[in-house]
Amino acid sequence: MDPILLALIIIVIFVVVFFILVYWGFYNKIIRMENRIDNSWAQIDVQLKRRTDLIPNLMETVKGYMKHEREVLENVTKARSAIMNAKTPQENIDADNMLTGALKSLFAVAENYPDLKANQNFLNLQDELTNTENKIAYSRQHYNDSVLAYNNTIETFPGLWFAKRMNRKTRDMLTIPEAEKAVPKVKF
Amino acid sequence: MDMDKKLLVEDQIRRNKRLTIVVCTLMALLFIAVIFAIGYIYFRNIYIPLIFAIPIALIYVLTTYSFSVKTVLAAAKARPANPNNREEKLLIYKVEDMAIASGLPKPKVYVQDSDNINAFATGKKPEDSVICITTGALRKLNSEELEGVISHEMSHIQNRDILIATVTIGVVGAISLIAEILFYSMLWGGAGRSRGKNDGNAILIIIAILFVILAPIFARLTYLAISRRREYLADSNGAYLTRNPEGLAKALEKIKNDHPQGKPKGSKTVAPLYIANPFKSMSVSSIWSTHPPIDKRIEKLRSM
Repeated sequence: MDPILLALIIIVIFVVVFFILVYWGFYNKIIRMENRIDNSWAQIDVQLKRRTDLIPNLMETVKGYMKHEREVLENVTKARSAIMNAKTPQENIDADNMLTGALKSLFAVAENYPDLKANQNFLNLQDELTNTENKIAYSRQHYNDSVLAYNNTIETFPGLWFAKRMNRKTRDMLTIPEAEKAVPKVKF
Repeated sequence: MDMDKKLLVEDQIRRNKRLTIVVCTLMALLFIAVIFAIGYIYFRNIYIPLIFAIPIALIYVLTTYSFSVKTVLAAAKARPANPNNREEKLLIYKVEDMAIASGLPKPKVYVQDSDNINAFATGKKPEDSVICITTGALRKLNSEELEGVISHEMSHIQNRDILIATVTIGVVGAISLIAEILFYSMLWGGAGRSRGKNDGNAILIIIAILFVILAPIFARLTYLAISRRREYLADSNGAYLTRNPEGLAKALEKIKNDHPQGKPKGSKTVAPLYIANPFKSMSVSSIWSTHPPIDKRIEKLRSM
């Protein structure tokens, strides 16, 4: 066979294989990044649920000590019900904000009850709640990081080309509620 | 942390990753150059030594990589963190936080009873990894400083630094072994083949011999350069995870001013994964250090 023809065939084969590998690589990368986003979204919900689940135990522990702080305690219980009954994502976010505010008030008021502050159960719950607040903040951060990395990949070249063929759109990042912006991460 | 600051940190991360590739390529080129030099001196053919050099390198790397995490932890006299102790419970929480922030599985948390402020990470892959903090660190660092240290170690795990360190050490060992084999075989008459042949090549042979003798030194220096670069990367990546470079900066300051009592524990091979080298005085930092100078690290963190 003519050596030039052979060389050309080999080159074409290499080019085709190269493109197949690149396509394979990018396809997988886009899928992996989307899964990461979904996973980090689920993680946020896990942490939010953890927080809601801690409330009954907290209520049991404080109600003996804070008998006269009815409004503060009711606000927490109301917020928790709102979360359980929330149907839309917006309702969820609003109820979540309500709970954050109610808990802040509760712990501020608890400062006036030295007996309560000495209660080991209360202290453990306080640690747990602070821990959950931190985890909520970090899982939101991770969600935003995953979305940012994904958007960067599908908006820059060559990812852009693959995204168009796979019909992928950029995702939105979470906006942190105003209340949390002030104290993004809670210190122990 | 606003968008501008975030970009600076990401730029640093990218720069550190790029420089790692540069230094690793240098290491690979060094390895190949040693092979060719040996081939030229001994066989007059630069490709022949690849036959034995590549298996040696592979065996070295695989052996170094087959370290057991249990052995490392035992050598460091580390124990699992105790959730019933509030300090250690909070430590576990912080490690979990960093796992969430980085998207990695949660590493096991161990504690080393020591007055030093220090921490290390080990493990062959993120699913199997361990972070260990000293009780000195738990006692002397506050919440944000501890978070900075943990995020630095988490970054090592995220960036596969343990893997990179062991492979690099393996290649350094292989280069040294190959150079040694050649040296001793020449000593015992191997180079006699060149006698009687074209003497103009003698100069090239001498250069090649010198090169082979110096190669292990160059290899070690390259490994140390890689190690320092990965430390900067762990610093910048850690700052990104916490969005708070000041935490780690303050922790490094405390480490710098810390005068611990008692000898540091742990095996020397794991030393590079410590946040600060426990075996050397802090004021001595040169091309022979596994860690960059502490002041420079603090400066870089504060400029983010």
